Amino acid sequence: MGSGRLTRIAAVAANTFRESVRERVFYNLLVFAMLMILSGLLLARLSIRQHEKIIKDVGLASIDVFGLVIALFMGVSLVSKEIERRSLFPLLAKPLRREEFYLGKFAGLALTLATNVAAMTAGLLLTLWATGATPDLRLLQAVFPLVLGHLLVVALALFFSTLSSPTIAAVATLCLVVAGRLSDVVRNARTVLPDAPAWLVEAVYYALPNFRNFDFKDRVAYGEAIPAAALAWVTLYAAVYVGAVLAGGVLAFRRRELH
Amino acid sequence: MRVLRALPLLLLALVPSVQRRVDASRGAFSGGDDTLYLWSGAQVRRLAPGLESLLADVYWLRTVQYYGSQHAFEGGGGYPLLGPLIDITVSLDPRMEIAYRYGAIFLSEHAPQGAGRPEDGVALLERGVAAQPDNWRLRQDLGFYTFLFLHDAPKASRVLDEAARLPGAPAWLRTLAGDVLLRGGDRATARRIWEELQAQALDPAMRGNAWAQLAVLDALDEADRLTGLVQEFARRTGRRPASLEELVPAGLLSRPPVDIYKVPFAYDPGTGEVTIGRDSPLHRPR
Repeated sequence: MGSGRLTRIAAVAANTFRESVRERVFYNLLVFAMLMILSGLLLARLSIRQHEKIIKDVGLASIDVFGLVIALFMGVSLVSKEIERRSLFPLLAKPLRREEFYLGKFAGLALTLATNVAAMTAGLLLTLWATGATPDLRLLQAVFPLVLGHLLVVALALFFSTLSSPTIAAVATLCLVVAGRLSDVVRNARTVLPDAPAWLVEAVYYALPNFRNFDFKDRVAYGEAIPAAALAWVTLYAAVYVGAVLAGGVLAFRRRELH
Repeated sequence: MRVLRALPLLLLALVPSVQRRVDASRGAFSGGDDTLYLWSGAQVRRLAPGLESLLADVYWLRTVQYYGSQHAFEGGGGYPLLGPLIDITVSLDPRMEIAYRYGAIFLSEHAPQGAGRPEDGVALLERGVAAQPDNWRLRQDLGFYTFLFLHDAPKASRVLDEAARLPGAPAWLRTLAGDVLLRGGDRATARRIWEELQAQALDPAMRGNAWAQLAVLDALDEADRLTGLVQEFARRTGRRPASLEELVPAGLLSRPPVDIYKVPFAYDPGTGEVTIGRDSPLHRPR
């Protein structure tokens, strides 16, 4: 990839980032996520012991869920909004290829998500500090895979939004996310469906994006250190899957007729 | 139009008085509604994939609140939802040690302090031991509860010995395992176990429970001492006293005996046996 191409992608990404952080819904979600993280303080007071773990659980779950919501709803509207507003056409009239626009949009939202997760993680660490607990930097070992999962959601949302309307794209992405989070059920499907062909179950299991891979929240909340190799494999999985979906999305976007 | 504009304010002004009526009809200190829509941890797991740990926290909080409200406002009442709530909690997070340890206390303690189902409490700890085989605290509690509530000294001794062999376990667990086996259900062994639990307690609730159990053992010792005084009275006078108050003029007691809650000890003139008063918080059914 030439440096000119990278510069154009970076320009689209920077523009997308600026646009995303100007969205009111982004701030609403961020504020709500912060409130959720802070609510851990209250929940912890209602429990017998395990205050620190409850704050970590609530905080990590908030990062997971709100990151997912932002990735999903911003992801499906990124390209479609440009088409609806017809702001895409003057852009494509410039020396900007469709794939550069597409990848720039992805990178811009990825940056937005990373910023959002960084803010939520800082909120969680501050909450822990405020309760007298040690702000455990090992939490980042759970946060990093969550970001990878969010990137996969953005890639899927972008892909579906190039094929259909934002609503259908959101539903399709959400279905895949839920199915991917239930990947263990898919893998063990033959215990309840013994007649299902093993090859089919296996094929579905490997084809679905396995969002379970990105979930280290529980282990980290218990203070367990995640081996670097495990994180590396998950990163590679995300790179492969995100790459495949982005490639598919670029192909679909290239072929899409824009009126 | 003017009425329509005023209507929201008028209706809102009515809310506090209606709420007061609702509160009055429910009772000021009514416990939470006894409703559990999902009874299976496996079902709840499938509801929010990836958020099991958070759900476990929510169910644990619900367990604690349920226990507290039943204990404080409903007088115990058997705690019918306690078992399912704890089951869901540990199904969602099999590593939540505190749910096994406190859950076993809530389930095993005699009513009204607990559900009075020690078999369920021991089964919960067995589940915890299966989920965390290297956790010596859970295995220690399993041994303690098997001894204290099920009075199965051989099994308790075996479990305590297993706990003693785990990494991090204190050395005294092995001697305690021997004592449990050799001395069976004697009170001194029970006292030693509760003293250990009190020393290990990480928070006031657990410490308070161990203190209460030690107070029960103290009261049982005092009842035995009073039974001895009754026998001494009978030896001196040739008859049993009609009441414990008779021991005071006889010079055997300085005042009528009461426990730490100022509840008089119960006395059966037919057998001469003194026991903890039925109205005392220290009373435990045999």
